[in-house]
Amino acid sequence: MRLFVRAAAFVAAVLVVGYGMLALGQEDQRAWLVVVAAAFVLLIVALWPTFPAGGGVFERSLTRTAVVLFVVFILISVQLLRIQVVQSEAISSRQAATERGTMMDPREMIRATQVARGRILAAGGEPIADTVVEADGTWRREYADPAAAYVAGYFSPLAYGMSGLEQTYNAYLRGEEGGNPFSEWLDGILQRGRRGYDLTLSLNLDLQRRADELLGDQTGAVVVMDAKTGAVLALVSKPHIDPARLYTNVGPDSEAQVAAARAYWEEVTQPGSSALVLRPTQGLYAPGSVFKTVTAAAAIETGVAAPDTVYRDEGALTVDGRVIPEENRPDPNRVSYTLTEAYGWSLNVVYAQIGLQLGAQRLDQYAKRFGFDQEIPFDLPTAASQLARDDAFLSSRAALADTAFGQGQLFVTPLQMALVAAAVVNDGEIMRPYLVERVSTFEGKTLQTRSPEVWKRAISSETAATMRDIMIQSVHEGYAQGAAIPGYVVGGKTGTAEAGDGPPHAWFLGFAGKDDPRYVVAVIVEHGGEGGRTALPIGRELLRQAVEQAGP
Amino acid sequence: MLAALRRFRFTEFQLLVVPSLMAIVGLLTVFLNRTGSAQWTWSDIWISLAYVVLLFGITGWLSLSGFKGDQVLFPIVAMLVGLGLLIMQRLQPVLEAKGGAWATLAQRQLIYLALGLGLFWGMMTFVRSLDWLRRYKYTWAFAGLALMAVTIVLGREEYGARSWLDLGIVTVQPDEIVKLILVVFMAGYLDEHRAAIGSTYRLGPLSLPPIPYLLPMGLMWLMAVATVVLQNNLGSALLFFGIFLVMLYVATGRQVYVVVGLASFAVAVYIAYQLFGRIGDRVQNWIDPWADPWVLGNQQIQSDYAMAAGRMFGVGLGNGFPQFIPVVETDYVFAVIGEELGFLGTMGVLCLYLLLVGRGFLIALRAEDGFARLLAAGLTTILALQTLIILGGVVRLIPLTGVTLPFISAGGSSLLTNFIIVALLLRTSDPEWRRG
Repeated sequence: MRLFVRAAAFVAAVLVVGYGMLALGQEDQRAWLVVVAAAFVLLIVALWPTFPAGGGVFERSLTRTAVVLFVVFILISVQLLRIQVVQSEAISSRQAATERGTMMDPREMIRATQVARGRILAAGGEPIADTVVEADGTWRREYADPAAAYVAGYFSPLAYGMSGLEQTYNAYLRGEEGGNPFSEWLDGILQRGRRGYDLTLSLNLDLQRRADELLGDQTGAVVVMDAKTGAVLALVSKPHIDPARLYTNVGPDSEAQVAAARAYWEEVTQPGSSALVLRPTQGLYAPGSVFKTVTAAAAIETGVAAPDTVYRDEGALTVDGRVIPEENRPDPNRVSYTLTEAYGWSLNVVYAQIGLQLGAQRLDQYAKRFGFDQEIPFDLPTAASQLARDDAFLSSRAALADTAFGQGQLFVTPLQMALVAAAVVNDGEIMRPYLVERVSTFEGKTLQTRSPEVWKRAISSETAATMRDIMIQSVHEGYAQGAAIPGYVVGGKTGTAEAGDGPPHAWFLGFAGKDDPRYVVAVIVEHGGEGGRTALPIGRELLRQAVEQAGP
Repeated sequence: MLAALRRFRFTEFQLLVVPSLMAIVGLLTVFLNRTGSAQWTWSDIWISLAYVVLLFGITGWLSLSGFKGDQVLFPIVAMLVGLGLLIMQRLQPVLEAKGGAWATLAQRQLIYLALGLGLFWGMMTFVRSLDWLRRYKYTWAFAGLALMAVTIVLGREEYGARSWLDLGIVTVQPDEIVKLILVVFMAGYLDEHRAAIGSTYRLGPLSLPPIPYLLPMGLMWLMAVATVVLQNNLGSALLFFGIFLVMLYVATGRQVYVVVGLASFAVAVYIAYQLFGRIGDRVQNWIDPWADPWVLGNQQIQSDYAMAAGRMFGVGLGNGFPQFIPVVETDYVFAVIGEELGFLGTMGVLCLYLLLVGRGFLIALRAEDGFARLLAAGLTTILALQTLIILGGVVRLIPLTGVTLPFISAGGSSLLTNFIIVALLLRTSDPEWRRG
């Protein structure tokens, strides 16, 4: 009996510790301490020495003391196993972003500075983040163009860690991954001066600069993509950081660099400043009418409506006691519009009706097929777009109607909207968006090339063709008329999204191509007023430049 | 001639080969890693060579003097001391970069080590009997109390604890010697009054412990609490109180003393926790150092990073980054071992301490005299508790409290006291000690 209890206690101790080691992370210190305490009690039960009656007091109590101390030794070795072997990776990679900067393992930082870092180049080979290697083997990073530098992210190992591509492609930029493992090993042995691998981006520097210029001092974001491949051609965020001012590296200037970086960091992290947010992928905005693209696609694909289905719009619609006013009708006397016309004229009352016909479930289903509720796989961190903040929100009919024309609790990233247009252009399939096109050695030898891949199918190719026509029609007749580019096929949709107290956010979502559309653009100008007036000209200009650069 | 051969401490001699090799190879590793070349001469590792000569000198002297005590204890200690020597030599450039009093710490540690070995040799040579310890136990106790009082009044504060005495040339930590005095007093007192303390008397329905005999113990308990409050030194208080409880339990076999003692100590600590911010910070750091990663939690986080960087095999002696850990030479010396020698290294060190404690308890069990038994048990308990308190703190199983890692952490008072402990333990292990 006694033996059984001991064995059971021992097994239980092993199980408890095993569970704690594998299931409890470094953040669960309290729970882990409970596990250790339980293991202590169980091990004492398992090992408690018993003595025949009549033995010496001293021998008995000393042995028991020894057992208690032994169990504590065991627990310390268990903890060592946990820290040094089982969870060592998790501990080493643990970081925390604080006001004073990113707390991270300094070993990681030192490793980051040891190899001359690879360059980050635009599509044409222009350096975005350049590496200048001095004669003595030290190196420093230089940023040629502030309009594109922040896409690379900052590199500040002595103060704030790193961000953006510098972080996600750190192993490549350090030359530790992507090449020939044998030659990397050999270089290490022979202590050859190494250079990390270069990244060539799909970023078109002309488009990027033009977009930056067009946005000017306005706050907002632009995404230009090639819908056929997923290549991102321009990615603009305003305001943005200047990574040159956060740059720190080991060397004689490091103290001055860290001081300058700290001062600049104070500036960009002040309340009200949001320069650190990369708006195209992480900014969440109400989409307004550009979301009607999703609603229309869902209605057509599910057979709820066709492009020529006629809806009544009498200037207002009451849903469950809530009045949806209509301010967008081109002619106040006209009351019937097809789905296509209502898209062009952005009629909220019509899309509210379509949304109600569809129902919350199908709208949700199609939003997800376009990529909502998921982190979009990309080379930079992305925020998930959401159809509704609260799960229960869409159970109300009024809320469903609001959502269908782009208000409600919708929050989307510009990249997500660009992918909606990309699905329409690319026969219903969304290509996985990317920025990094090629990894190569400094000498120019290509190590890896990105081959375009399909992320997911959003809609059928028939629905996509229909949606293409609807969006093209919207440029012929509707608020997106200004987007037309002579000699090219252009489709588009403007949006004016209510956004708190200030003026509304201005949106434009569009595509263009010679005969077959190819390039998509998503533009948002925060509090820019009407989409057709502020965002559309920027989007049109970028589409024009993209199609003209592509040539006939 | 044959008699001399029979006396030869062959086991000890053999076992000393391991710490010798470790010291020589380890110091060579440290040296080569620092210079980054493969060029060296014997003079670069003179420290280890001197250490090896001293080790074999001592074992030879013990053989010659006909000492018949334990042969395993000294090699274990030599291993730990050798490791401490390696770590201090390894840390030398880091400590030099810190400047101030740290710049010469590694060199000073060498002097302490030489003094420690000298003291050990002296005690093994000239102290043949332990009766003088037993006979003057009250004198020792008063001396200890006086020392504590002086420290509290005149002591200097470092790392927030007022437990250092500045003697002009050197600063000493009286706590180190006081814990030794505590054990000596307790062993003498408990041995004398064991029967009375182990008994109970009845008062109506209650069975009470012999309160008059426990009174001196109560004073000791008060002293421990006073240490927390007046010196702001939780580590020493925990150590004193642990020694006190273990010795009381070992002498009487009554678990109720342990339970009552722990409960009252917990209450006292809880009150102190409410009163003093510093202990609150320690608890915060123990639960979640990431709550304040730059100031309060920084040390613990850096220690975690270092331990984790070691993985299974360690990055190698001299290849780690101990400079990132603020108080690396004392409290967090184990983190350096963790980073550079890996899990295998820390387990090795842990096993050495386990062997040391096991050996100490074995000596206690084998001793025939009541005082010697309690003395050996108490001295071993000092080493065991001190190791567990600091290691438990570094690996974050308990809040970190500032006690030294025996034989490895920097600190002269600590090293000298530990050598006295080893000498006393060896002396008790000698079956003929009473004849001396």
